[in-house]
Amino acid sequence: MDKATKSASPAGAKEGDYAALRELFRPHVESFDYFLDAGLEEMLSSIRPMEIKDPNSSTILKITLEKGHVLPPMRDGRLGVPLYPQECRQARITYHGEFKVDVCLQCNEEGAQIRHTFNFGHLPIMLMSKLCHLRDADPHKLVFHGEESTEMGGYFICGGMERLIRILILQKRNYPMGMVRGSFLKRGAGYTDKAVVIRCVHTDQSSVTIKLYYLQNGSARLGFWLGGREFLLPVGIVLKALIDTSDREIFTSLTCCYSDKYGRGKGVVSTQLIGERAQIILDEVRDLSLLTRMQCLMHIGKYFRSVMEGFEHYDYETVAKAVLKDYIFVHLENNHDKFNLLIFMLQKLYAIVDQTASPDNPDALQFQEALLPGHLITIFLKDRLQDWLRKSKRLIIEEATKNKSFDLNNALEVRKFLTKHTTSVGRAIESMIKIGKVNSQSGLDLPQRDGMTIHAERLNFHRYISHFRSVHRGAAFAKMRTTAVRKLLPESWGFLCPVHTPDGEPCGLLNHMTSTCRISSFYNSEGVVKDFEKIKKSLSAELVRVGMNPVFPRIERSGPPEVLHVHLDGCILGTISSARIEETVNFLRKLKLLAHSGIPEDLEVGYIPLSLGGAYPGLYLFTNPARFVRPVKNLFIVPGGKQSIELIGPFEQAFMEIRCPDGGDGGRKEMFPATHEEIHPTAILSVVANLTPWSDHNQSPRNMYQCQMAKQTMGFCGQALKFRTDVKAFHLQTPQTPIVRTATYNKYCMDEFPSGTNAIVAVLAYTGYDMEDAMILNKSAVDRGMFRGHIYQTECIDLSKKNRENVPEIFAKSVLSRDTSTAIDSDGLPRLGQTVHPNEQYYSVYNRLTGAIRPVKLKGSEPAYIDYVAVNGASSKGDFQKANIRLRRVRNPIIGDKFSSRHGQKGVCSQLWPDIDMPFSANTGMRPDLIINPHAFPSRMTIAMLLESMAAKAGSLHGKFIDATPFSSSVKKEGKHPRKSDSIVDELGPMLASYGFGYHGTETLYSGFFGTEMECAIFIGPVYYQRLRHMVSDKFQVRTTGRIDQVTRQPIGGRKHGGGIRFGEMERDALLAHGSSYLLHDRLHSCSDYHIADVCSFCGSLLTATVIKSDTQKKDKREMLGLPTVKLAKNLVCQACKTSKGMETVAMPYVFRYLAAELAAMNIKLELRLSNKSELPPSQGS
Amino acid sequence: MDRPAAGASYQRFPRVRIRELRDDYAKFELRDTDASIANALRRVMIAEVPTVAIDLVEIEVNSSVLNDEFIAHRLGLIPLTSAAAMQMRFSRDCDACDGDGSCEYCSVEFLLSARATDSDQTLEVTANDLRSADPKVCPVDQARAYQQALNADYDTNAGEQRGILIVKLRRGQELRLRAIARKGIGKDHAKWSPAATVTFMYEPDIRINEELMDTLTLDEKRSWVESSPTKVFHLDPITKQVTVCDAEAYTYDDEVIKKAEAMGKPGLVEINAKEDSFIFTVETTGAITAYELIMNAITVLRQKLDAVRLQDDDGDLGELGAHLGGP
Repeated sequence: MDKATKSASPAGAKEGDYAALRELFRPHVESFDYFLDAGLEEMLSSIRPMEIKDPNSSTILKITLEKGHVLPPMRDGRLGVPLYPQECRQARITYHGEFKVDVCLQCNEEGAQIRHTFNFGHLPIMLMSKLCHLRDADPHKLVFHGEESTEMGGYFICGGMERLIRILILQKRNYPMGMVRGSFLKRGAGYTDKAVVIRCVHTDQSSVTIKLYYLQNGSARLGFWLGGREFLLPVGIVLKALIDTSDREIFTSLTCCYSDKYGRGKGVVSTQLIGERAQIILDEVRDLSLLTRMQCLMHIGKYFRSVMEGFEHYDYETVAKAVLKDYIFVHLENNHDKFNLLIFMLQKLYAIVDQTASPDNPDALQFQEALLPGHLITIFLKDRLQDWLRKSKRLIIEEATKNKSFDLNNALEVRKFLTKHTTSVGRAIESMIKIGKVNSQSGLDLPQRDGMTIHAERLNFHRYISHFRSVHRGAAFAKMRTTAVRKLLPESWGFLCPVHTPDGEPCGLLNHMTSTCRISSFYNSEGVVKDFEKIKKSLSAELVRVGMNPVFPRIERSGPPEVLHVHLDGCILGTISSARIEETVNFLRKLKLLAHSGIPEDLEVGYIPLSLGGAYPGLYLFTNPARFVRPVKNLFIVPGGKQSIELIGPFEQAFMEIRCPDGGDGGRKEMFPATHEEIHPTAILSVVANLTPWSDHNQSPRNMYQCQMAKQTMGFCGQALKFRTDVKAFHLQTPQTPIVRTATYNKYCMDEFPSGTNAIVAVLAYTGYDMEDAMILNKSAVDRGMFRGHIYQTECIDLSKKNRENVPEIFAKSVLSRDTSTAIDSDGLPRLGQTVHPNEQYYSVYNRLTGAIRPVKLKGSEPAYIDYVAVNGASSKGDFQKANIRLRRVRNPIIGDKFSSRHGQKGVCSQLWPDIDMPFSANTGMRPDLIINPHAFPSRMTIAMLLESMAAKAGSLHGKFIDATPFSSSVKKEGKHPRKSDSIVDELGPMLASYGFGYHGTETLYSGFFGTEMECAIFIGPVYYQRLRHMVSDKFQVRTTGRIDQVTRQPIGGRKHGGGIRFGEMERDALLAHGSSYLLHDRLHSCSDYHIADVCSFCGSLLTATVIKSDTQKKDKREMLGLPTVKLAKNLVCQACKTSKGMETVAMPYVFRYLAAELAAMNIKLELRLSNKSELPPSQGS
Repeated sequence: MDRPAAGASYQRFPRVRIRELRDDYAKFELRDTDASIANALRRVMIAEVPTVAIDLVEIEVNSSVLNDEFIAHRLGLIPLTSAAAMQMRFSRDCDACDGDGSCEYCSVEFLLSARATDSDQTLEVTANDLRSADPKVCPVDQARAYQQALNADYDTNAGEQRGILIVKLRRGQELRLRAIARKGIGKDHAKWSPAATVTFMYEPDIRINEELMDTLTLDEKRSWVESSPTKVFHLDPITKQVTVCDAEAYTYDDEVIKKAEAMGKPGLVEINAKEDSFIFTVETTGAITAYELIMNAITVLRQKLDAVRLQDDDGDLGELGAHLGGP
């Protein structure tokens, strides 16, 4: 397949342990695994069977989706040949497997069930998921298949592009959240800005958000979206429709939480107003004369029959029950549970209205969860399958009305219509991943429709990892003017990295998970799908054992502060007395840590204690997937046991006492003893932020800049570069491993993808070329290979796609051409290793029809080497139509290239300075590789860079890597007291001194020019420097003359076309202010659209001049006679005045003439008044 | 600064004393001259003493993991024995071949051909695989191996000379190329620089104020002596006297002066750099011996000065001429 010899380099003898790396990608892979394992089944079973009623007869055809099959990726055409990801990247195809569903057709109830397997096209398969051929492959196998030995998967390959589904923030599922939002007022008259909102998630991951609005009159409305609009129901109707109940029961349920004996004490959430409100709710229903459950159901059914699809032929009651099932609290199945939850939500709503409980902050991570790739695909696939059912139904009904002989019983006929749109399902999923757009009518209760996927760029490893660890708040927030959503909130402590967020537009919206943060999944630690029913049963059994009163049997209840409600995934299990609650919570935490308790280890025990006007109290337990969790140490469990690591979520974290492992109490004193302890302080940092050495010694914005710059470095993007076909890949020729590194560096095997060089950096002002963040590079160091790099660009040429006229084109070289000097080989493709210069041909295309040879020239302004040529898939005749040509461009450091240290200290190379002119050390003879200005430090306070310089010097002398893990000095060591004033300098100084170097990392240097000693001691040492991808060769723009715009004759813009840089208004103002009129004239006129126009001074018209033909004849005559062709004065005549007497030439910008022409087209005459006299006003248009 | 009368001579007669001389290492003293001469010598040694290095590479087959430019760059950096470099011509000045690098006066051809056939092991292509057309110019390791083979009885356990690694080849991979080495100087590219390290230091003049020193206690003396990161001073355990044991180890780091000040004894020691006395340390890459490097540097320096002097008749030198000729 490859033109180059396909020889995989052998994986190293030692097999790296990449488990830690894999862990980072687990949320992506696991969620997709679940989709394949069980999610697909769950989703298919939740699709309501489509019923089609024959318009001619009473036959009803029922179409049920039964079982889905997703097959592993296979090569087209040939059975049983597996398709590997590398082939997909090469051939720019999709890594997908066939998707089939067993469909059951049944006519009427008694008809025979006919099962048929429909092929729904292909589903993209996530790499390293259960259907990927590379799952559990060892590094050897991975390398054999042209992958990185560290390949972690988690993305899809669509059309050769590597794309991943972005993790989005969603509202926490199944938790009623109190919200105050101005937009609620717009729901209608009488609405207030307060509501309780719950995002209910069905087992198939589809969700319905229910809002319970508070009305000014004290009542409430239940709102949900259906078919593109929001429906608002009086809450009383829903309460009555859910279960057979009485007004009295509703009243007591609502008012039970109020008791006048508590007054307004701690934990009281209800006021005496609740009685009146309950009355209003009940009155509302009574006013509609709905008294029984049946009446309420009829009422609901009447309204919804027209909008509920597929229910046109059902009675009101069935419709109403379907509405309650499909839209009201879809996470619950039991109507009693729904009733209880609604009562609870009402109580919470009233508490928020009365300000006895505070509303929840929707921007806090406490009330958020993640949208995972597998879940998105599940819900989108469900939507597409339903759409297919709808389309098929429409087709069949159309056909049945048209064609009277059409019979629904005829399975073959029906099947013909059903298969019509099947492949669109697979295509829709693929295009969703390809372009990131979720096209569905309902919106799927997702926060956004665009930008669901991003390209997994392999610019360098840091960037690559960050894509998979990033969490986006949602595209809608990017446009918001307020900055509240971007705030760093304390709730995200330990889950989202406070350092690693980009600057500028997506700041605070695009966050990154910390290195320890995980996302709970459907799988338990043994890799078995969790059985939530079982968990629920054992949890409630345990809870009852410790004193919970279950909701059933129904007894007289009360509310906070006497008892607290116990929720499990949005279902009210019961109540527990507030005296016993703490004990229960501790008991649950113990159960979490026991391996075989049947309680999941990532159970979230969200205990909101009683407070005065704080969050609404209760015990909220969550077992659901897609929650953020992170490990901390539980202090109550005997430390001897290994099980003391507990997984906690952001919801419970807000009410927990977690101390820092520095040995102190964090100012808690005796009042709130710590129950948990952080494992290590670096757990709050993301992987990339964790790689900054001693980041605790830097000013915080510098660490943020470093996170940005680490992702822009030109390093080792991958070891499988030889097999890769990225459009653009950067590659550093001689990377090194940093001498000073953090523990994270080793943990994530960053040595596999190094990104910089240990450069000897001297901090001094030398020659002045290091001013303003410029830096001087030692020319000899660059000569010896420092920071040398390449850019690899792959062009994918697909001749089968290109031609519009369907003319067959193939790669071929002209047979006539014996020319061997060009880069083109006999097959029309370039030779490997050949240098191609700009405008030189490098491949040629033969047109079968016309027989013409079309050679293609290299674009751009710099030469390239042919690195790799691969041909994809020959046609039947053995002609090649699709090829990848990889070009290699040399990028050695030159003036203007950008470099940075690991401390947000970027700079531009200003000179490649000769080695002999660099300062040198008298003892060692060492000359620096790089000189930076000391002014880079005082205002930026990147102390860690100075520490790094000293440490790297000591480390290189010592022959050891230096650990620079941040905060390590504030972690209490076993048996040792935390170090007090023992600074890192005091550790490194003696080390340096013992090797005969200055204690403070300074050395006496001598001027390279004069050989004299420099007055000051110079700070010099190795610092790990990164080369950034911004290089002048890709950016410089210069032009003297060149292409001009057709219409205005002004220079064009754009670097690609050789255009100029706009000399804009502000630049013009600057020149005006300087009075440099000549320069101004030069820029804006001579170098732009200078034009000499012929103007008739009589009529003042610009446009009437015409050339008289005789002129040219005269010229020809002179030429014939052999006389020198003198340039004759153009003989011009004004068309309007019919005379040439008044013709004058005037220099002007060409656009002015164009303006005159444009105006003339609108019947406006532009007239010039010409004059030689300076006292007359300058010529004006009239 | 007052100028001496016309005709007055600045001429000095520098002295050189060689302390240590090995093939690739030299340490010598240069006295009775000033920093400009010392630095000029250093600069010439690094950047202007010619050597031979691979400059043109024609790659026939390269199926290794490294790309062509990378291999060419690595080849260029291999030090080649350049004892004959002074006599060679720069290819740009070569009349015999018009500078196309194919004549014996200005260039040396190398051939390299390697193919990995061993099934399991990777083949290491090293500088030893380069085949030179001129026995005088070859990779340094080859020359050394040859020398050792000659004096086999003299030094039997010299160990295997592996040569500088160019690239590793896997089974089936091949590297075949033709390279042309040319004469050049380090100013143009660092590969032509024969010097690994050339540095000089001013000879320090250390005077201990004995009177003040006597006022120190033994502990103070010890801590003062230890404050220097390098071992410059010695505290005699018997006589309790502080003496200068190795003045040249002093790095002008001022640590002892700062220490003395911190101890409240400023002026305990006085350290001055002798303005006219330099200690040179020279290390070469092996392309030429340290001795050749120094001698060639002096030759080059002299040629440069000659070039200036010869031009001096006409006033082309402009301002420089005025400087040289005096008023």
